[in-house]
Formats: sequence, C-alpha cells, structure tokens
Amino acid sequence: MQKIRPAFVFDENLNASFLEELFEGDTIYAETVFEDFLKDLPVYWARVENAYNSKNLPTLGTSVHTCKTLFGYVGFTDLQELCQQFEDKCSVNNAEELRVDYILLIQRKEKAQHIIEKEYTRLRIFNGEKD
Amino acid sequence: MKISCIIVEDIQIAADFLRKFCEKSDLVEVKGHFMNVADALEFLDREKVDLLFLDVEMPGANGFDLLDRLTYSPKIILTTSKTEYAFNAFQYHVDDYLKKPFTYKRFMEAIEKLRQQQAAEISPTTTFASVPQPDSDFLFIKAEDKLIKLNKDDILFLESMRDYVKFVTAGKSYITYSTLKNMEEKLIGQTFLKVHRSYIVNINKIDDIRGNTIYVLGNQIPIGKGHKEDLATRLNIL
Repeated sequence: MQKIRPAFVFDENLNASFLEELFEGDTIYAETVFEDFLKDLPVYWARVENAYNSKNLPTLGTSVHTCKTLFGYVGFTDLQELCQQFEDKCSVNNAEELRVDYILLIQRKEKAQHIIEKEYTRLRIFNGEKD
Repeated sequence: MKISCIIVEDIQIAADFLRKFCEKSDLVEVKGHFMNVADALEFLDREKVDLLFLDVEMPGANGFDLLDRLTYSPKIILTTSKTEYAFNAFQYHVDDYLKKPFTYKRFMEAIEKLRQQQAAEISPTTTFASVPQPDSDFLFIKAEDKLIKLNKDDILFLESMRDYVKFVTAGKSYITYSTLKNMEEKLIGQTFLKVHRSYIVNINKIDDIRGNTIYVLGNQIPIGKGHKEDLATRLNIL
C-alpha cells in the first residue's frame, strides 16, 4: 500500500496560506526560491546599509522597497508592511529621525533571515525524503 | 498563437516566477528578461513583442520612462509592489497591474483579460467601423449608435482611452470602441503622426510646440520621448 505523505507546513511566522497558493504544492520550487532569497538578501541589504550610512534617503527608500518585494516571495507579508512604512518615512524624515525605525527594521530582517534559513533546511530535508 | 513578451524586472526571483508562470500557461512566450530600462529599450528597438511585463522601480530609469520612449504600443502589464502607481498606470493606459508577489491564478486572470481584448480587436464586429481607403479624405466611425462620417482634415488628434479611442475635432469629440493601435494602421501617413503612446496628432493642425507639449486649438498633447525624433523629422522646421 502506498504511504500518504503529509504536505509541507510552513513556519507559523510566515503567511502559510499565501505561500501554499504561490507555490501550489511545488516544494522543490519553494526550496529554490528560499535558497535564492538567502543569496540575494545580503546583496540587497548591503545597498540599504550603504544608503543609510551615507544618509542617501531616496536610495534608502528604493533599496528597502527591493527588500520588501523579496520578503513577499517567502511569505513575510507583515514585514512587507513594515518596509512600506519605512519606505514612506524616507520621503518625509531625515536619517536621524529614521534611526529607531532603522534599528527595528534590522532586527526584523535578521529574525526573518534566520527563519528562512531554517525553512530552507526543512525544505531540503523534506524534498530529499521525497526522492 | 502565443503572446510574445519580455520581462523588465530587476529582482531575479520576481522575474523567475514570471517566466515560470508564462511557461506553465503555454500561452505566453518570453523573448527576454532585462534588469533595466536601457537594455529593454535596446531590445525593443530591434524586435517587437505583444506584451511587456514591466516593473516600475528599477535602478536608473523607471518603468514609466520606458513607456515614454516606446515608439509602438504593445500591451503593458505593470508588476510592482507599490500601489501608489495606480494613477500613473491609468494615465499611461496600461492594460493590467499585478502587485508583487502575485499568484499563478492572478497572473492567468491578467492573461485571459488580454486575450479577450486581443480577440475583440481583431473581431470584425468590434473593430473600427470605418471603410478605410488609404487615399480617401474621410472615414466612418461607429459612435453614438450610428456611423459618423469624419473628414480626415477635420480631425485634430486621437486619444487612446483604454479600449476606446477619442476623435477630437474643432467642434466635437467622438468616442469609438477601438484601439489606438488600430488607428495607427489606418491613419498614419502624410498628415497623422503618433507623438505619444496615447496620442496621434494631425500635423496640419498643430498650432505650436513648447517643450514636450504640442498645442492644437487649445488642447495640450504630450510628446513621448521615443517619438521626439520622428516628430522633428516630420516638421518643416526652418
């Protein structure tokens, strides 16, 4: 008798229902996307850091915008909202006024990165077991 | 026949998703992916496609800059994670707007809508209701529940209104169910010139040009960046 395998369940910090709709059960592709996210995020985040350190707020807004899009593809819809708020503030506040928000954003980004690292590992194991 | 497209997108994951959706649909053929506007324009100078998936925020020029420089009118689907562009999207007559990240279901809704539009454009019952003789001085348009005869020389300009086209004359405007693309094929010639993605102007009716704006009997018509050169060569500048 063929064993029925349970579906992959995404971490509770992620918007699981959206991810299920996005990947339509294709956990192999989800693994690829999570891997790409972990590769791309440091590159895009470096632009955020450079822009903040040089107080270039238009570029800071654009760079956070890019990260926001990236977060969406791995199910961090709440973090997308935080990025959007920060992005909006970039056009009205100065770098000093953004400091607290920036620190919060860094903390949330690091937490997100950690969760995706774990999810990526879980996906690899899950997909490995499938073979 | 498949819809040919290019993807203009600076985020690789987003572009990969889009490519995957196109392949899965078996309705859309991806001719290329470009990370910036300059590369996309270089391609579009050489090759025409039916559809652009266009991100708005990219390094350097943005998606609307590309639309300003386009010299023809493919279908446009904006792909962005910012809803604030909706107003601009409306002004540029984009065909749809996909908020990233979007699902395959949402992607297919957009494609189906495009296919329906395309079918309507080529259907004999819904196309431009004129009997266009290239050399004739007049044309008939279907408007106000009748066929109206317009002398070409009376037309000041045409404005795209999504699935409709507005013909503007000195005394009156007429709206007909068609696309500017259809009009282009029928009118462009000695006197009519496309000066913007959304406008075709009767050169004989131009009063003056200031900066990037054409003035025709009190109406202001923007000049698209990609159309400037064409316009300059067509005008009798002394």
